[in-house]
This record gives sequence, C-alpha cells and structure tokens, in this order.
Amino acid sequence: MSSGITVADKYWWISLTSAKSNLAYLAEIGSRVFFLGVILYIFLRLWQVTYSETGSQTLGGLSLPQMLWYLAITESIILSGPRVAQSVDQDVRTGAISIHFIRPLSYPLYCLFNTLGERAVRFFVNMSVGALISVVFVGFVPMNWLGFFCFLTVLPLAFVIDFLGNFLIGLAAFWLEDTNGLVLIYSRMTMILGGMLIPLELFPDSWQATLKMLPFSAVVYGPARLFVSPDLAFYQDILFRQVVACIFFALAVAFVFRIASRRVFANGG
Amino acid sequence: MRTLVNYLKLAAAYTRLNLDAQLEYRGAFYSQVVAMFINNCIWVWFWVLFFGRFKVLRGWDINDVVTLWCIAASGFGLAHTVCGNALQLAVLIARGQLDVWMLYPRALLPHILLGRMSATAWGDAIFGYIVYLIFVKPDLPHFALFVALTVSIAFLFVGFSIFTGSLTFFLGNSESLAEQWRYAMITFSTYPATLFEGAVKILLYTLIPAVFVSYYPIIALRQLSLSHALIAVAGSAAVVAAGVFVFYYGLRRYESGNLMEMRG
Amino acid sequence: MSDAAVTIENLRKTFTLQTGKGLKRTSSEVVAVDDISLSIPSGQSVAFIGPNGAGKSTTIKILTGILRPTAGSATVLGWVPWTDRKKLVRQIGAVFGQRSQLWYHLPPRDTFELLGKIYELPKNDYTKRRDMLIERFGIGTFLDTQVRKLSLGQRMRAEIAASLLHHPRVLFLDEPTIGLDVMARQELRDLIREWNKEEGITVFLTSHDAGDIEYVARRVVVVNHGKVVLDDKVSSMRRQYLGAKVLSVKYHDNPAALDFPGATIVKSSQYAVRLEVDTQVTAIEAVMEHILKAGSVADITIEDPPLEEVIAHIYSQPPQPSTGEEDGE
Repeated sequence: MSSGITVADKYWWISLTSAKSNLAYLAEIGSRVFFLGVILYIFLRLWQVTYSETGSQTLGGLSLPQMLWYLAITESIILSGPRVAQSVDQDVRTGAISIHFIRPLSYPLYCLFNTLGERAVRFFVNMSVGALISVVFVGFVPMNWLGFFCFLTVLPLAFVIDFLGNFLIGLAAFWLEDTNGLVLIYSRMTMILGGMLIPLELFPDSWQATLKMLPFSAVVYGPARLFVSPDLAFYQDILFRQVVACIFFALAVAFVFRIASRRVFANGG
Repeated sequence: MRTLVNYLKLAAAYTRLNLDAQLEYRGAFYSQVVAMFINNCIWVWFWVLFFGRFKVLRGWDINDVVTLWCIAASGFGLAHTVCGNALQLAVLIARGQLDVWMLYPRALLPHILLGRMSATAWGDAIFGYIVYLIFVKPDLPHFALFVALTVSIAFLFVGFSIFTGSLTFFLGNSESLAEQWRYAMITFSTYPATLFEGAVKILLYTLIPAVFVSYYPIIALRQLSLSHALIAVAGSAAVVAAGVFVFYYGLRRYESGNLMEMRG
Repeated sequence: MSDAAVTIENLRKTFTLQTGKGLKRTSSEVVAVDDISLSIPSGQSVAFIGPNGAGKSTTIKILTGILRPTAGSATVLGWVPWTDRKKLVRQIGAVFGQRSQLWYHLPPRDTFELLGKIYELPKNDYTKRRDMLIERFGIGTFLDTQVRKLSLGQRMRAEIAASLLHHPRVLFLDEPTIGLDVMARQELRDLIREWNKEEGITVFLTSHDAGDIEYVARRVVVVNHGKVVLDDKVSSMRRQYLGAKVLSVKYHDNPAALDFPGATIVKSSQYAVRLEVDTQVTAIEAVMEHILKAGSVADITIEDPPLEEVIAHIYSQPPQPSTGEEDGE
C-alpha cells in the first residue's frame, strides 16, 4: 500500500511545509539575527587582537579570515537549533503525543523532518548574516566546489545528530519531572565541547583525541572546519564519525521510543 | 534620609515576599538557579581555556577576565533579584498595567521595580560572589571593593533597563527593541572593553554604557584605585538619572491618556 | 462481518495513579471506563456525553487505537483498534476540539497538501476530493489566508474539512463547537449533519453543548463513572429532557402571578421573572401568551438549559416524562 517513494514524499513534504511555515515569520527570525551580529563582531575583535598580539599568521592551523568564517558557521549552527527537546517534553506532558498516533505517521520521523525544515531556514538566515559580516571584515576564504559539496553533505547529518540527542532528552519527560536542566547541560556541552567558541585544535593537546570522539564535535566543529579548510581525508573522517553517531543515537531513540510508546498505550501519555 | 531607610525597608519586605513566592515552587526555583550557575561557569571555563593558550590579552590576564564575569554576573543578578520588574517595564507600559501601581502611596518607579523577582538572577548573583572568592582569592579590601562595585553595577543595569523599557512611552510597544538593546549591553559587558576601538568605543561610553562594567571596575580592583571606582559609580549614577528622567517624562504622556490606543 | 461501524463489549480501562514522592509513594487504581458496551451501526451519528472524567475521552482514545484497554473488546470497521492501529488510522478521521492540525502560520491549502501526502492520496484523487470539500465547506474564500488570521468558525470548518480529506469512514469529533459564537456553531452543526446524511459517514461526537446533540446526532449515549447511563434516540431524549426552555422576562410594572402547567419559577424579583418551562406540557406559543398577559414586557430572552443541568436531571430521576407538578419556591 505504501511504497518507499510515497513514504519518502510524505516526510519530504513535512520538511517543506515546516520550512514554508518558518519563512512566513521571517521577521521574528530576523530579530534573533541581531544577537548573532553582536557576538560575531565581538569575536572578530577578540581574535584580531589575539592574532596581532601573538604575531602569528595561523592559530590552530587557521588564519584570521578562516577563524572568523569558522565562528560564523559554528554560531549559525548553534543559533539555528529549534527547541526540539522542549516541544517533545510538552507533547509528552500534555498528552498531545497521542494525537500523533492517529495518523499514518511515525512520531520521531515527523519531528525529525519538521525540525530539519525549520532548521534549514534558520540556518540559511543566520549564515547569510554571518557571511555578510565575515566578507565585510575579513573577506572571503579560499573555497572550492568540492569543499562546498562536502560541507553540504555533513551539515544535514550534523542536524540529524543534534536532533536525535535533543529528542532523547525530550523523551526523558516520561520519567523525569523536569528536563530543562538536561537541555541546558546538553546545549552547553555542544557549545563548548563542540568547539563553538574556539576550534578544538586550541584546546589542551591531551583533550583533543577525546573531544574528536564525542558526538558534539560532529555537530559543530566538523562542518565548520571542513568549510574553512576543505580536505578530503578530514571529510572522510568526519563523515565516518557522523554516520557512527547517527546509527548509535538512532538505535537509542528507537529503543527508548518503544518503551515510551508502551507507556502511551497504557496511560495515554 | 528617613525616606531612604523607609524605601530600603520596603525593598527588603518585597524581596522577602518575592523569595517566599518563588520558594513555593522549590524544585523549579533551585533548578533554575543551578542552571544559571552552571551556564556562567561554562563561560569562565571558556576563558580559562583561552588564557591557557594565550596568557595575556591587551594587558588583561585570566584573573581580570574572571573578575569581569563575576562582577557583571553579581551586578546583574543583584539588580534583578531586587528589581525583577525592570526587565518587564516595556511590557507593563505597553499593556497599560502601570495603573495598578499608581494606586499606592509610594513613589511609582521604585515600587514597580520591586514588584517582581527573577529566579535565574539568584544564580547570577551567587555565582559572582562564590567564584570571585574561590578563583581570584581576594584579600579583604579587594572583596569589599568588589561588593561595593557590584552594587554600583546593579544600579547601572536597573537604570539601563528603565531607560530602554521607558522607550515604550514614545515608540509604542518596543519590547523587542528594548530586549535587543539590553542583549547588546549584557554581551558587551562580559568582554574586556579594551578589545574595542574607534566608533564602537564611543558607543560603549554612551548608548551601550558597558565600560562602567567591563573597564573601570576591573581597573579599580586591579590597582585598588579609588578614582576608577568613583568613575564607575558616576557612570552608574548618570545612567540611572537618564533612565529615571525618561521614565517620568514618558509617564506624563501615559497619564494624559495619549497612549490609550495601545492599551486596548 | 456485521455492518456495525463500532462495537464495544464490556470495555474497561483502569489507570495506575501514583501519588506522593520517594518512599512515601503509593499507587492507586483509578477506573476511567468501568464497563461499557455499545454497538453503532454504520452511518449513524452518535453523541457521547457526560461530565468531565466520565470516561468519554478514554473511550475515544481506545477506539482510535491510542490506548489499550484493561479488559473487554472493541472493533472499529472490523478492526481491533489497538492491534490494527496502522490499518485503522487510514479509515478514520478525528478532530480534537482545541488541538489544531492546521499549520498556524500557513494558509489551510498548505496543510491540505501535506495531509494529502501523509495519507498517501493519489494526486488526482486528492485534487478532486479537496475541491469538493472546499465547495461543500465554503472555505474557498479563505483557503489562501494564513490560519492565524482566520476566525475561529472558519478555522473549525477548515479543520473538519482537513480531517475528511482521506475519505474516513468514521469521524471522531471531540468538542467541535467549543468557543464558537452562535452563528458559527449552527453553521458547523448543519455541515456535519448534512455530511453525515449524504456521505453515510459514521460520526462519533462528544460535547458539552446540548445544541450539538440536538442538531447533529440521532442517538445519544450518556456516560457517568465509566458506565452507560442512558442510550436513546435524540428525538425521545428531546421529548423527555430537552423540552425545557429557560425564559428571562423583564416587565415595566409589577407583573401578575405567572402560574400555568409546566412552568417553574426559578427566580423572581420586583420586575423580573426567570422561569423554566416544559414545552411538552405547554407549547412555547402558549407560554408566550401567558407571559404577555401578565404585564407589559420590557425584555425577554429564551435559552436552552445548559447540558450539565440536563445530565444532572437524567442522573437524578428515572427516565419518564416530567409532569411539571413541582412548584416554585
């Protein structure tokens, strides 16, 4: 009855509708962009001063223009994150989650594609502002089509991993009274350990192996680093780690969601 | 002087009342406080990492930057535990909710400001004092000056919130403008002011008066310099004066009913 | 297979409720549905009513496959909802009162398009069905207006049309008219009734509003404490319970005493009278005559008694025609 194509079409439309819906209130997203502008300007100054005081051409293997572009991308990734955990938490607590069971849809997949659509729009808006600021202050970074293509393949995977992590936290609402603490810790881990403020290369040397193993780096550091210095070996490495993280998290979500749905069927959420 | 004591008593009463109200939802309150504490710690951690690599930035070392984070957080926290409504001013004005407060036999502005407490602000306030004590390990004069300066900075933040919130009197609902302006102020307040030059530097002395958080108090503490401390206090006083002036000037328009259309 | 759209036999559902914290935690069992049996023939419209916590929404959740019952059996369109949920959901539609399935920032057209994809409708079929619903529900004029700009009545019409896109054979409506104004409410009732009549779709409706039941349903099932208290045709229920009207009359002067069969004075002050009238005993025209005779009328309103009152009535007395013998205070 449902072929693979119609199912794919179904979820693709969810993303598309979600993107459209977010475009409908671009003005609101626009106001959030202001914050991105302020923080990028401050970081520009911070690194300008740091480069000139150390007198070095590159820090952690990145030149100043690369550094600013790197930060523009990491900030855009972080600031484009929809409130997935909060909305799942809400659905669980209000019982709205059960409404999703009366349609031929999978709730996790529905949330995933809804999130991807929203995030695509918000990332695009953020990135436009980030790129504008970067071009104005430091100019372009050397780019090639291959690098850009690589970036475009790892970015969606980064979003998927981030979604899965947040979705898991949201599902914790079945057992915990309050998930806000977890959300905050997860988001701060993503920022710091993911390398939003400083590239992982500038962390203490002894930490780097561990940091690169953690899924946070696959969400933030990986895509941004790939964008500013495209490198096929690095691409393969990051892609591999993203796929592993995706599989691992997806299995965890599938497992937890099975237990959670049993609770829905018994208690209505 | 009697009035001042009187208002301090009122402030204490309100703070106690607000705290009791917050503690009704103990779990939520503590988790918000802890969350804010952790959030601030992460930023300090970032600076520790940064200075682990670079040691000195425009003459600032890790102690200066941690002091900055502590003094800014405690100042901000103090401001909004006591005057939690400062952040809500734009909303209160736009929805015509000042009327309620006009019925009391107390000066309008301080009374409004005291009417609410922000739970996360407790996290900020506590964070600043504790981390300063543990990380910077000050002697008594330094700590005394630190505490005095957090009070000065608290006045600055309250004054700034009054100023931006009161714009609603003139511009209609400017909630989002006020919010973004405050965002800029808070963000600039947590980075060394010495990073900025030219036009931006002028901005930090005027429209976004962050130097009275991120420059003078830090120098005052580093050199135990009374003159820098006095400039910081003067800056706060100026911002509070500007805020109060704009508020009462705007209030005349409110009372005259010119703003009826936006209350509906 | 019988032609019953819905069958329920000895359905029971209990929840475990946990109270207290930590070691003091105790769990107790709460009975939501005690013992409900019901059979709804295909194409019937049924109103399912009862006070909050009576077991209405639990029953709906079981019938839509969301909840698994503790005991008893049920089928919807021949399927057991909780085991055949995935097959069943393509055949049923549901509107949950205040929980919208329309995208708030987008026009209804976009939600329709998406639902077409979600239910995997073939393109031609979808377009034909959508255009038909647009015409029947009169939503053409605001099809391209963002949902947040629609009136509640328009929104509800779009909402119900959206739930019919995939040709459901059973439609569950949970408080569909809540919050609507009088006009919009009546419009929506007419639409649902006509749709039920012409398309032969089975309608299962819960409501707090006596009007919904009178104008939409043909059969009414009253539940309380998880049990069926009354199961009857709406027409006979109307005869017994919905015949009452509440009249508030204001006079210019002190009116003469109002005393006629079937009338109960609820409240009276100097110039005003509020009375409940059983129109089975005295027809509404005759009631008006009595009222006008009593004095010079300044103002008058006629209302249906609220459903809560009707239900309370049902619980408090055995189902027999009221005689209107009891007197005012």
